[in-house]
Amino acid sequence: MAEYIRVSALNALARRVLETCDPLNNLIVCGEISNFTRHSKSGHLYFTLKDEQSSVKTVMFRDKARLLGFAPQNGMLVLVYGRATLYERDGAFQVYAEYMRPFGAGAAQMAFDALRKKLEAEGLFDPARKRPLPPMPRCIGVVTSKTGAALQDVCHVIGRRWPLTKLLLAPVNVQGLEAEQSILDGIHALDADTRPDLILVTRGGGSKEDLWVFNSERIARAVSQCRKPVVSAVGHEIDYTILDYVADLRAPTPSAAAEVCVPDIRQVRQNLFILRQNIQKNMQSRLQMCYNNLNVLAPQRALAAQKAALEGRAKALQDVAEAVKSANITQMRQKDLALRTAAAMAESLSPYGVLARGYTIVRDKSGHCRSVGQLKSGQCITIQGADAAASCTVNQVDSFSPEETS
Amino acid sequence: MRTPKNFEDGLARLQEILRQMQDETTTLDKSVKLYAEAAQLIAYCNNTLDQAKLQIEEIDAASAKETAGE
Repeated sequence: MAEYIRVSALNALARRVLETCDPLNNLIVCGEISNFTRHSKSGHLYFTLKDEQSSVKTVMFRDKARLLGFAPQNGMLVLVYGRATLYERDGAFQVYAEYMRPFGAGAAQMAFDALRKKLEAEGLFDPARKRPLPPMPRCIGVVTSKTGAALQDVCHVIGRRWPLTKLLLAPVNVQGLEAEQSILDGIHALDADTRPDLILVTRGGGSKEDLWVFNSERIARAVSQCRKPVVSAVGHEIDYTILDYVADLRAPTPSAAAEVCVPDIRQVRQNLFILRQNIQKNMQSRLQMCYNNLNVLAPQRALAAQKAALEGRAKALQDVAEAVKSANITQMRQKDLALRTAAAMAESLSPYGVLARGYTIVRDKSGHCRSVGQLKSGQCITIQGADAAASCTVNQVDSFSPEETS
Repeated sequence: MRTPKNFEDGLARLQEILRQMQDETTTLDKSVKLYAEAAQLIAYCNNTLDQAKLQIEEIDAASAKETAGE
């Protein structure tokens, strides 16, 4: 009877042999995905990798599949990182995938399109979700490589345009297997920190593969859940990543991102200058207005002053007039009294007064008073007494000296 | 005048001053006081711009995550 071994021994033997072969334990396989299934309960991925001639079964366990940055699908060309060995139960040679990523432009595009459609359907790219950037951020969180050119560009542009801001750098790996987690940590840390007003996720140019990490679904979801606005700038103008779609603002390059994040100091100085001019003009026109109002009031005040002066003078004039009038009356009375006194005096001196006492007045024909010495003999004269007059003819006039009469 | 917290605060106050001065109900006396305050604020803002220098600080995202996780 020939020697035999059991199936399980065969498979165990084959597996042991395979596991001694180092290249199988650490390999990267390129192939197209087919028969892709995700086990509904376990979450493990099962699929076949194939090329033109051959195919191999592949499995990716749930904890690894969870970290995939894209959705694998049939027809997609991928690079699978892992090991290959025998699954003893089925005697099946298969690949155990640790990590995989789309390979080549076509596959990458497929993965990219699929994720974009999925997130778009969920509304993550909705323009209504985009938040405005603060006009003058006091602090900007930057998620980028500490050694990259992108950080240099950002520092240079912001230092020139708006040095009032502060950059809070979360240094991350932007390449390699840890890149995704590193970027996620950076975003989370900056979103949790109270200082940054916005978050800038950026890296400089690179190959499609270099930039692939920014198509990660986990990063996209982290950004969509950020409380702060997020600006993305990955690679160059032509490079679009999923991050760009989900970010609040996408800039074509790190420098351009720095430009949109901050105002231009020259513009702000100009605005400050205009503000100052407006304030000065306002003050000037305000003062001018007050002067004008005062000028309108001044003539009215002058008129009122004139009127008051006029009234004062009219009063003075009236006072003087009254004083003159009363002085006049007093004087009239005085003169009247003097006149009466003089009249009485005159009355007492009247020659007619003495006639009553027996004296006479001699008059010539024309009625003029004449002294006796002036008379001529033969002259007709009238002798007037107190109550009668006598017509006489002078017979003779004799002169005598005054002594003789006494 | 209260010293502004920062440039943005000063700029906002200047804009508020202009608005108040443009309000016709503001008295001349008040306007003159606002004008004096504006002059100081402009000096402050210009000075802040002149002396500004970009600051860069680093945070350790990994340790921040550990702290957050505790």
